[in-house]
Amino acid sequence: MDVEKGKTAKYLKEKRPVPKEVTEQLKYFTRTKKSILNALKEGDKTIPQLAEILAIPKDEVVFQLMSLLKYGFVETGEIDDMDEYFYYKIKNDGKN
Amino acid sequence: MSEQMKSLEFDVLVIGGGIAGGEAALNLANLNYKVLLVEKELSIGGKMIMLSKVFPTLDCAACITTPKISEIARHPNITIFTGAETRKITKIEEHHFEAIVLQKPRYVNVTDCTGCQLCEQACPVSVSDQYQYGLVGRKAVYIPFSIASPRAAAIDIENCTLCGACERVCPTQCIDFTQTEEEFLVTIKSIVVATGFDLFDPLKIPRYGYGTFKNVITSMQMERQLAPTRPYNTILRPGDGKMPDNIAYVLCTGSRDKSLGNPICSQICCMYSVKQAQLLMGALPMADITIYYLHIRAFGKGFNEFYAQAQDMGVEFVKGKVGKITEKENGNLILRYEDIEQGKVQEAEHDMVVLSVGVLPNQGISDAFENKKLELDPFNFINQADILASPAKTSIDGVFVAGTASGPMDIPDSILSGGAASAETTSYLRRALL
Ligand SMILES: Cc1cc2nc3c(=O)[nH]c(=O)nc-3n(C[C@H](O)[C@H](O)[C@H](O)COP(=O)(O)OP(=O)(O)OC[C@H]3O[C@@H](n4cnc5c(N)ncnc54)[C@H](O)[C@@H]3O)c2cc1C
Ligand code: SF4
Ligand code: SF4
Repeated sequence: MDVEKGKTAKYLKEKRPVPKEVTEQLKYFTRTKKSILNALKEGDKTIPQLAEILAIPKDEVVFQLMSLLKYGFVETGEIDDMDEYFYYKIKNDGKN
Repeated sequence: MSEQMKSLEFDVLVIGGGIAGGEAALNLANLNYKVLLVEKELSIGGKMIMLSKVFPTLDCAACITTPKISEIARHPNITIFTGAETRKITKIEEHHFEAIVLQKPRYVNVTDCTGCQLCEQACPVSVSDQYQYGLVGRKAVYIPFSIASPRAAAIDIENCTLCGACERVCPTQCIDFTQTEEEFLVTIKSIVVATGFDLFDPLKIPRYGYGTFKNVITSMQMERQLAPTRPYNTILRPGDGKMPDNIAYVLCTGSRDKSLGNPICSQICCMYSVKQAQLLMGALPMADITIYYLHIRAFGKGFNEFYAQAQDMGVEFVKGKVGKITEKENGNLILRYEDIEQGKVQEAEHDMVVLSVGVLPNQGISDAFENKKLELDPFNFINQADILASPAKTSIDGVFVAGTASGPMDIPDSILSGGAASAETTSYLRRALL
């Protein structure tokens, strides 16, 4: 097959359209990521604090924030006075 | 796509690259037999490679698995297909089988991938990571996990937007979206089935609230939380990120229960729960751990001592059958249970619950056999036709079974069973020469 190396995604895109759910999921992640990082730019926060500011369920914050931790956008800070919730902070100004 | 099917020839086909299949493949390869190992996942290693530490020695699972896995991967007599399926297995005559192996496209050329992860960094997509049992996300292009073998990227085509960012940054240009499925016609003399077990799905017990109450997790999710390559910064409640300090275990979830179609004991849940309780006491020194059990089955070498050790460490054991779990507004959980010793119904509050899910048969592989029937036992594990004299023997001469494909067992027994399967396979292959 004569498809130039490094440009093969385009080839498959012509044969296999990207489902709508996939683009929707990408938009959702990009939006949530942005709002979490913006909130953390204002100062370190715990998961319940983020959930309140962003008005999304706490379990969803856990999932998205831990993903951002894994991808290197965020790092773990101190634990709160009650030894219950960690503070999370922005890493590298949100660029990984 | 209808290129001519490629033909391959080996002495033995091992189906399933967990610890049992890996052990069998390695033994056979060391005896100079040519082995084809077919694994359906993107990495070999099975469930064991995902574990934290292992009972009863508390050795780190990755430290034991990694050297073994790399020995298998590097062995000149072993060819490995990951992300592949075996179909249409036909017995032509004694010492002569044919099978179709379907290699699914990974969209990454494994030999050229250096595992640099630049593609992961570039990929904009984030979806649930199946190798972290859904606790965290991963990219659409991803290295399955850090100790995966092969440690090479793969593309999750279902979730890929085909934006091309990954292939633009890949330094070795090994990403290739033109890859398609490939079929191979494989000729072998003998087969080892080591397809392992499935985990019980706790959604089947709605009264435990798994899926709805986010602080109810499975034992496999706790294994991941305890592993060095954990999904979170430490052990946390998935519901709100709180560090738990009062954790309950519900043993026999999905085992020993006729109404759920699984009347037998899973053999490993008691011991892995006792292990996790000990590890949690180490990781969260202030935490209380309570194990709700029906009977503690600690029958193996060193097991009873391991159980006693947990009791000495302060793990609480309550003989009780958990009927229902409800959730409080703060995410804590109320367990309603029948206290067997006191003969009455009690309630207790915990801030996290771990369901010790049982071992179920992985039945699919028997459908791949075309002209001979691979028989299952009454519990749908692969039937051991002569369990006392020849435990690896199945209903088909020349097809042997290894590990949990034949029933619930722990790692030492799975390795022993892999050893038995390789010995019986060797004896079968030698008979061809007589
Ligand atoms: C939460 C938990 C904790 C545990 N902790 C311990 C412990 O501390 N100590 C201990 O001794 N044991 C422990 N165990 C048990 C241990 O995981 C098993 O004994 C062991 O993994 C069994 O190995 P196996 O190779 O038989 O099966 P598996 O690990 O299930 O491997 C089977 C392999 O076959 C592949 N496969 C399946 N179907 C196909 C197919 N059709 N084609 C190709 N490939 C296929 C699978 O992808 C997998 O890689 C634990 C289990 C659980 C669930
Ligand atoms: S082409 Fe797919 S895998 Fe590659 S970066 Fe884009 S979304 Fe990710
Ligand atoms: S696919 Fe390319 S960019 Fe991704 S890990 Fe492999 S070599 Fe690196």
